[in-house]
Amino acid sequence: MKRYLIVLSLLVVAGTAAQAKEHPGKAYIEKNGYQGPATCEAGECHPGTAKAFLSTVHWKHASKVTNVENLDPGEEYGMKNRIYTMCNGNDTVNNLKEVPPNPKTGKTKFTGCNTCHPGDHLSDVGSTGKEAEAAIDCLLCHSSAYDYRLRKPFKDEKGRVVMGQDRSVKAAIAVGKPGVKNCMICHEAAGGGVLIKRGFSFTRETDAHAGKGMVCVDCHGAKDHKIPTGFDPNNWASDGVRVACADCHGEKPHADEDTNRHVARIACQTCHIPKTGGALAKDFTKWTQGEDGFFEPTTLRMEANETTPVYAWYGKTVRNEPHFIGPKGSRGDPGSRIYPFKIFEGKAYYDRKTGMLLSMDFAPPMANGDTLAGVASAAKTLGIREYDPAPGWQTVYFGSSHLVTKGKALSCANCHVPNGALNFKSLGYAEEEIRKLTSAALYFDKMAEKQKESW
Amino acid sequence: MKRFAIASMLFAVAVAASGFLSPGAASAEEIKLVGVITKIEIAGPDATTASATLKDNKTGELVTVIVNDDLTLDKFKDHRIVVGDEIRLKYEVKDGKNISRYFRKTAGC
Repeated sequence: MKRYLIVLSLLVVAGTAAQAKEHPGKAYIEKNGYQGPATCEAGECHPGTAKAFLSTVHWKHASKVTNVENLDPGEEYGMKNRIYTMCNGNDTVNNLKEVPPNPKTGKTKFTGCNTCHPGDHLSDVGSTGKEAEAAIDCLLCHSSAYDYRLRKPFKDEKGRVVMGQDRSVKAAIAVGKPGVKNCMICHEAAGGGVLIKRGFSFTRETDAHAGKGMVCVDCHGAKDHKIPTGFDPNNWASDGVRVACADCHGEKPHADEDTNRHVARIACQTCHIPKTGGALAKDFTKWTQGEDGFFEPTTLRMEANETTPVYAWYGKTVRNEPHFIGPKGSRGDPGSRIYPFKIFEGKAYYDRKTGMLLSMDFAPPMANGDTLAGVASAAKTLGIREYDPAPGWQTVYFGSSHLVTKGKALSCANCHVPNGALNFKSLGYAEEEIRKLTSAALYFDKMAEKQKESW
Repeated sequence: MKRFAIASMLFAVAVAASGFLSPGAASAEEIKLVGVITKIEIAGPDATTASATLKDNKTGELVTVIVNDDLTLDKFKDHRIVVGDEIRLKYEVKDGKNISRYFRKTAGC
């Protein structure tokens, strides 16, 4: 705990200092203008950074994946090529483009999974070389004065779809450590709208870390642009570096030893993230027409903190089957702990011939609701000539590692009661064990003492 | 009887004070709509409030709401939300003004 307080104090001091201190190079940029990564690399400021960035997940949208079943260890997986039912398209089949005109309105619009890629779309996901290096939009993540009006797709004189960037001097001289909005500009809108996929907002009201003034990169602190991530069963690509609560809080984060004993088998998130949010379910086989004439996958939305998680043993390896993506683990596995998950159900087309999930190009159904045309377009892109589409459901377990609370964390009486948050039977406990685990005898004296003190 | 009359009168006063007899003070109803922003008015980078006008997709009517929440204001200021964006809006009418309670872009990737 003491270590945590020291680290937190240092973070606050460092954060304040970082914000207060002007990033070097202001005079150079004002004199020479901003030419993208070349300016960042000028002199001895950040040499080689652009080339190195091209090997990260943020640029490649993929990486080798070692903890998920049924994958080719020689291949890279991620938003670039994954097929699942939160995002039934991916960068490959649902590449950023102008959708066909809507028959009702005649209007068209740009859409694609790679809208968030930090390039200019001419240099796209996984591209390499000098042109790709020059296309990196450093300021999108590093400027606090980015004009997001400029980050829009448009067609150039050759008819190519280009993603605009703000390369103004104003944006360039406001560079620094990424703030929450720099991350959220992409991460909050994933899955088809604000808070649809992950379902968490990172605000003072919704997260204890945000309440302390922390920003995303205080925990997800990058080295050489490799961003540490956790082990969300549905987030496969990683830069090979990881983040965990214990990195800051240690293995004995509580003053009370009985509570600390839980840490061996109960993940911090289980007690400290009692709610989840975001989309509950989606149907990619039936799209709903909006008043603007365009169609969207039919989606059941929930707010941040509006749904209750499901708890399961998780040893950081993932069961990956056509109709299920979720945690592997058991009570008998000493490496497993009980974690909370948001359960999402998605309906999409499967191939009767292979039993595998098919992906979708969103452009056709977005224009006219024809979902099978979207499947046909994706199949063409992937070189799949024969398939027999049939609707089916997939269950996906999303990790739940945000919306952290201290004050509303689960305590003894939330779990160790007959109708508690944890379903001990499904977690592998015997009837006799459950009787003991759900009895107030476990904590009666301690809680009675606390109750006395609090009044 | 007199005691009963006094008690009834006190009860009526209490009820009136709590708002039951005053329609103007009744709790505001939340109104929902999806529409496209036609105008955003914000008084500079330090503004703590803004107004946004949306064209209701269903009725075609223009609705102007007051936006007070910091997150949405910040999105107005750095143009993460701009004219032309489609918005999912919840608002309530308070003292004759439409106050935004939920202001989210419908689009995502």
